[in-house]
Parts: sequence; structure tokens; C-alpha cells
Amino acid sequence: MGTESWVKVGASTQTSTTEALDEALAGLQTPAAPKLVVALVAPHFDLPTIAEGLHQALPTTQVIGCTTSGEIAPDGAVAQALVLWALGGDAINVTTGSGQGDDLGLRRAATEAAHCLDQLDQRANTVLMMLSDGLCGDQMEVVRGAYDVAAIDVPLVGGCAGDYLAMRRTRQIHGRRVMSQSVVAAAISSNRPLGIGVSHGWTPVSEPMLVTGSKGNLLSSLEDKPALDVYLNFFNPPEAVRTDQAAFATFAATHPIGIRRRDKIEMRHITGFNPQTRELITVAEVPQGALAFLTEGDFSSVLDAAAQSCQSALAGLNGEEPVGLFLFDCVSRRAVFTEDRVHEETDLISSHCGQVPMAGFYTYGEICRTKGAGGFHNQTLVTLAIG
Amino acid sequence: MEPSWSLHMLSEILSAFSTEDPDNLRNVLNRVAESVDAEVAAIFCAGQIDWCIGLSEADQKQLVQQAEQQPTDIPIRSGALHACWAPMGNRDMLFVGRLGERFDLEERALLRAMARSIELSIQMLRAVSSERQARKDAYQQATHDALTGLPNRRMVLDRLRSAIDHPVGDDSLVTAVLFIDIDRFKWINDAHGHAAGDQLLIHVSRILKEAVRHGDLVGRLSGDEFIVITRTSDRNAASELARRIIARIRQPLKVAGSELSHTVSIGISFAHPGDNPSSLLENADMAMYRAKALGRGRYASFHSSMRLQAQQRLSLEEALGHAVGNGEITTHLQPLFRLSDNTLSGFEALVRWQHPQLGLLLPGAFLEQAEDSGLIQDIDMTVFEAACSAIAQWQHIAGLEHLRLSSNLSARSLADPRVKERIKVILETTGIQPSNVYLEITETTLVEDIDSTVSTINALRDLNVRLAIDDFGTGYSSLLYLKRFPVGVLKIDRSFVNGLGMNPEDEVIATTILSLARALELEVVAEGVENQMQLERIRELGSDYGQGYLFGEPISIGDTERSFIAPRRPTAAVLTAP
Repeated sequence: MGTESWVKVGASTQTSTTEALDEALAGLQTPAAPKLVVALVAPHFDLPTIAEGLHQALPTTQVIGCTTSGEIAPDGAVAQALVLWALGGDAINVTTGSGQGDDLGLRRAATEAAHCLDQLDQRANTVLMMLSDGLCGDQMEVVRGAYDVAAIDVPLVGGCAGDYLAMRRTRQIHGRRVMSQSVVAAAISSNRPLGIGVSHGWTPVSEPMLVTGSKGNLLSSLEDKPALDVYLNFFNPPEAVRTDQAAFATFAATHPIGIRRRDKIEMRHITGFNPQTRELITVAEVPQGALAFLTEGDFSSVLDAAAQSCQSALAGLNGEEPVGLFLFDCVSRRAVFTEDRVHEETDLISSHCGQVPMAGFYTYGEICRTKGAGGFHNQTLVTLAIG
Repeated sequence: MEPSWSLHMLSEILSAFSTEDPDNLRNVLNRVAESVDAEVAAIFCAGQIDWCIGLSEADQKQLVQQAEQQPTDIPIRSGALHACWAPMGNRDMLFVGRLGERFDLEERALLRAMARSIELSIQMLRAVSSERQARKDAYQQATHDALTGLPNRRMVLDRLRSAIDHPVGDDSLVTAVLFIDIDRFKWINDAHGHAAGDQLLIHVSRILKEAVRHGDLVGRLSGDEFIVITRTSDRNAASELARRIIARIRQPLKVAGSELSHTVSIGISFAHPGDNPSSLLENADMAMYRAKALGRGRYASFHSSMRLQAQQRLSLEEALGHAVGNGEITTHLQPLFRLSDNTLSGFEALVRWQHPQLGLLLPGAFLEQAEDSGLIQDIDMTVFEAACSAIAQWQHIAGLEHLRLSSNLSARSLADPRVKERIKVILETTGIQPSNVYLEITETTLVEDIDSTVSTINALRDLNVRLAIDDFGTGYSSLLYLKRFPVGVLKIDRSFVNGLGMNPEDEVIATTILSLARALELEVVAEGVENQMQLERIRELGSDYGQGYLFGEPISIGDTERSFIAPRRPTAAVLTAP
């Protein structure tokens, strides 16, 4: 029975795709061929070249990846970079899958991707990592579709691919294929422990409100009043936020909606509004009938959440030292930190975990199902710790 | 005061029901589980799991085994699942399972209310689905043909109207209508039964669907009439499609042990802006009739001159219906001479139509309509009865006792199970000697439809009448049939007689037929003998009988009496052949 597992990370901020790939590959310095490489790619790179280059360099390695809205490398948050997170060792088994969908077929696409679990030789601990197109439909469907296959025994982690807030198109990589409107997945099984942590740090500032009208990712009314009006009246933001979509998006990034679940609050990122119908547009469904809060966060609460997420993931390793971390960090959290202080989040994580190889990306939504049947989040940090 | 969160979750469950979503119940289960942070939700129906989320197949089996006891804790691989069972009506059950904390009182009450909501929603869903299905069925019934499932006339016309008024895509494409009619379908129905006819219709519809491109429309107008609406780049493409359909449908079809030989005729018309869909169909219909007139199993494209022809054909068809009842169908007789001694040996009965306006019409002017309309059977019997009646009288004259009669029997008459009875009645009422009666059938009829005609032929044998094979040499008779059936005479087709002395191939064919007839002990009649040279030649070749203008053209019974019979009455001199 294999007992060794390792994580290596290579990164590059070269602007040329081939040069960035060469540098990132050189930085990996793996002791053997990795079982899995996750490629985190700034959208300006040529993804087919990266997918093909990885296949040529690591022909026996499973590869998934996606475009991001910012990358996280061992030294902290970076931008316009290519980051490769490599997982290997004889304790590890990996299979990968993908499913092509559209905004109506996300559930099916996620189910197809999750079927990579069928081929996995499962060991003591298993997790399904998923990367989906965050600009494509209700992301709750990704969790539901994957859960249809993974069921109660296999936790889900993942994030939605980004495009640096251009909100036009994200892409996903599976092997040599580059796709859009798809879900890609890696089933990771290990003889060693795997730990998962999730935390957001947002605090309700409004009274709970009944969601009286919503469908898919359109939130139409709260307490029978137009959702946009309720939102604007409560926060009373500057005039530009009321009329300009870009200004609104920036404001909403730090003022998400929380949904009350039994023992927690699940966050929903607001991406825009419809001035005619007075609806709020969210990344995932705010279920009709649920109780919702308007929330706020500040630098310290959001930073504390990073520590909490990291600590939870480490706790899952049952006392063993981590060999690496993977972070799915919401792009709007980066907005709270601002570019000057964004490094403080990764510094804090490093201070908790030691100098273990770490990588991740800024997402348009995070997936973490460890209990219950749901598990799509926004404005949240999900940490996967490899033991 | 914070409102009770659980009560509002009920509306979430109800909102999850969508009549558009086939995964409806699965979505509902997701929401039930998500609302109480449970890992598992399932709907049991009669003790079995209908829908389930969160459990592997192995765990689901374990759950089913314990469902009857409804335990509060169920051990699975991941730990102890705390259960909540909530009834949905008398038989069904909502199961919700959670790891970790047990369900508290409020959650249990909530889940029971959810179960009731799901039950009601399922009932509503079923009602809506059933109403939708009923609407769908009604629409299908109103717009599609029940037998083949193809769009019916109404839908064809709608689509055609839409194709003319709102052509989609490439402007250079033109809408073409192919009107497809199964040749001699009525006969196939009569001969093989309606079940076989239905099978043929289904077979043709399948071939048509396979032959056309995606986006083309195949419809059934009525009976044996099908339609294809296609968009083509040029007229040749429509012709090519017609050729392909004809070739594919020509393949024999086995139905209830019989092999059906069938063809289709196709008429093509092309749409122009502003055309009326019905006119376009009519045009294609006219072209189809033109294809039939050319010999069936063909196609023809519409030309404006066909409209006049179609009107004439239609009025002729209407008039033919009255002609049979009005006694306008008359019998002409053409003499038949024995060549060995140049004596009159009998007559062939031939049909004529004494049209009130157009005068005397030959069979070529109306037989096709008679075949298509089914009037041919009455016409066959009318001609036969009149000829039998005359010949029977003449057989009383000394020297004419063995006067023979040849009368044509069409394929449809031969396939008609009532034909034996009708012939029997005519033989008995007229008193003609059956052994002197030869019923002429074409070689094609004999071979193509052997399965359906064999019982009629055997019945005719019982009546002691014999068969003459008309137009012999133009088809593909099996020698076996000639031996097996009561065939007494082979008639050499006039096309071969015409070529005697001029065309060596015709000589060879005529010689072969005569050799064959001698081997099978059959008599041979040479048709179409028009001059002395032909007469000498067929005599040399050994033909038993001759028929043609040289001996006498077809004339009315009265004229026959005057020209051929009166001179043979005891007081008259014996008439000999030229």
C-alpha cells in the first residue's frame, strides 16, 4: 500500500504562452511523473497550446484546468500568470472526466464529469475536484449533478472558472481538450488523509427576509418587494451604483446576499441587475421560500475566514502534516483585500500551514460539499489540504 | 421577530415542481435535502425506491430492505443515517436521512408537510401531464395519419403554405412537391386483403422517410397517395429524388408469405411565389397521372398542358361510370381462323364504348380509368356475357358447334374472388359450351400476381373453361405455370408478327414460342396478321390459328352475324379465309 504523496507547484508570469509553460513546468521539479496537474491559466494565454504542451511534457499525467480571475502561487496572489499544481506519489490515485453543457444542461454535464469516479480505484479517502464555467447557468446544478454520482461518501470541492471580471467567456481544460460551458473533474483518492475547509467571514446586517420570488439565478422579490429596490434602499449606495452596471458590480462584490441554512449562512454573489424588471442577478439560485440576509464584510472578518478555512482543512488531516494546499478563493474577497494587501491572506495561510506548496485561483463561485446535499458558495474560501 | 424559516421552505418545494422538467422529482429531492441539510432524500413507492439522491446503489438496496420497519437509524458506510419517514398518501413515503444530528420536532413537522406538498404536486403534475398528453394526442390525430404516423393532408397543406409564403434559407432553392401514388393499389387490396395493403402503405412510408433529407416533409394525403415536400437547388435534383424513390420501392415486399410486386408513379410540381398549396398538389397529381400513362413506375414533371388532359380524363372517368349502366359498353368480335384449312374457328370479344358525344371509343381511351376506378370488372363481365350469348346461339348452327370464344379477363377481375360465380352464371344462362371458352389473361398478370390468382384459375378449371395467354413473349412466363394451369392457347403478340420477314429477332422469338407450344401441347394464335406475307410465314412456322385485319377487323355482334354467320347458315355458301 503506497504511503507517499507530494504536491509541487510551478508558476510563471511570462506573457508568452510557450515561455510561461516552459517556466512553470521547470518550476515543478517533481520527483516522478505527477498523477494529476491542475492548470490555472490567466485568460490571455493560448489554452490549446498549454493543453497540448502539458500532454507532450507529461504524457501519463491526468490534466484538468481552467481560466481564472487571478491565480495563487506559493508566494501569494499573482495576476496574469500560469500556475501548475501537481499531485503525485504512490498513495494517490486519480481519474478525470468532463461534461459539455450549456445553461440548461449543467446538471447533466456535471454528472458526466463526475462519472470519472466509476473508474477510480478508491483508497481510504476520496474527493472530487470540479472546475466549472461560472458564466453558465445556475451553479447549484453543478453540485446537484455531481452529487448524483458522488453521493454521500465522496466530498466535493471546486470552483468556477473566471475571466478577470470581463464576464464574457471562461474556458476549461480536460486532457488535450479546451472547452467552454463545461464541467471538468478530477477524482482524487489517497491512502493518506485529505482535509477540506470552508469559510466566508460575512455578517448579516439586515433582518431576515423571505425570498418571495426567484427563478434560477434571478432574484425578483424579497418580502414581495422588488429585490433591487430592497437592496438599494437598504444600503443606500452612491448614485452611480444605482445606474451603472460596473459600479454596481464593484459595490455588490462586498455586499453579497446570505441564505439561511439550518446551521450556517450560504453566500450568494450578486453580479448585476435588471433595471426594467428590478431583479438582482446572482451566480447561483437564491431559493424561493428561503430566508435571506443582506450582508457586509470588512478586511479583518474576511481575513479571519481565511484562517478558519485553512484550520478546518488541516483539522481534517487528523494531526498529519500537509504536503500541499489548493485554494478556491472568491474573486470578490480579493476586492475586499485590495491589491495592496491581498498578499496578507496567503501570508496568513502560510503562517498556519508552514511552507507547504500551495496554489489556487480566484473564482466566480466555490464548491464545497462535505455535509448535507448542497454545497455551492460565493464570497467564500474553500481549502483542500493534501495529507 | 424572526419568522419561522421552516414554514417558508414549503413554498420552495412547491416552486421546484416544473411541468417542463423531466427530472422534476430529483430536483425536489435536492431541495428537500438542502433545506434541512440532509444528505439523503428518497421517494418510496410500494416499498421500492422511485427516486433517490445521496446513496450509492449498494446503500439504496440496504435502505429498501429496512423500509418496512421504518427504523430511525440506518447504518451505511459513512456512518449512522438518522431517518425521518413521512407518508405521501397511502402507499408512498418520503424518506430523508442525515448524518450527525437527529431531526428535531420542527424539522419532522416540516418534512411531513413537505411530503404532503410533494404528494399534491405529483397529483397536479400527473393531471397536467395527462392533459398535455391528451392535447398532444388530439393534435397528432388531427394532423397525422393513424396508420403510418405521417403528417396528413391538413398538415401537408399547412407546411406547403408556409414553404411558399416564408421560404427559409437559401433563396436559390425552390420548393418541389412529389406526388407519389402506388400503382394498382386497389388491385393489391382486393387480391391480398386490406391487411396486406396496410403493410404496403407502412412499407412505402418508411422508404419515403429514409429517402428524403432531414427537413423534407413526407405526408400521406389519402389512400395510396403520398407526398414529399423538398427544397432543391434545381429540377434535376427533384427528378433524381423521384428516381431514387421509384428504385427503392420497386424492391419486392413479402407480406403474409406472398411477394408483392409493386411500383409507384410520381408527379413533380415546383412552387412559385404566390402559388396556392392546393393547386400545387393538383399540379403534382396531374403530373403523376401523366407518369402512369407513360407506363407506371415512372415520374413526370408538371406542364401546363397537363391541366387540359386532366380535365378530359376526369370527365371521361365520370362518364365511364354512367356508361356501364347505360349500355354504352358494347362488344365487338374479331374472327379467328384455323390456318390448316382456312376455316372460321371462333371470335375474340373486344370492348368498345359507344360514347354519346365522342362516338365509338377504343379500349386505349378508357381502360386505364376503368382499371383505376374498379369498373373494369363490370366491363369484363358485360363484354363476356354479350359475346357468350351470341356465340351460344351460333353454336346451334350446323358446322359451327365448336365455335370458340376468347374473352379478356383483366388482372382485377382475376383477383376478384366473386369472378368464378359470375362466370358460372353467364355460362349457365347463355348455354355456351364452356370447353369452347378461352379467357385471355396477359402474361404479366399471370406471373406477377400468381399467389392471388391461383385460386381463381383453379376455379375456372372446375368450370371447364381454359386460359389463353395474351401477348405471349412480352413477359416472363414460367413454364411451370403454363403446365400447371389450364392454359390451352398461347397468343403470339402482334409486335412479333409485324416483324416477320423483316426482323430476324422476331422470327426467332415466334419460332421459339411455337416450339414451346408444341412441346407443351398448346395451340398457338398469331395476332395482328395484316398481310398475305405474314399469313404465309406464320403458316410455315406452324401457327394453329391466325387473327388480324387480314381475316377481319373487330365489328359489332350484328355486323358479325351479317358478315360471318349468315353466310354459314344452311342456305349459304361456306366462307373461307383469304
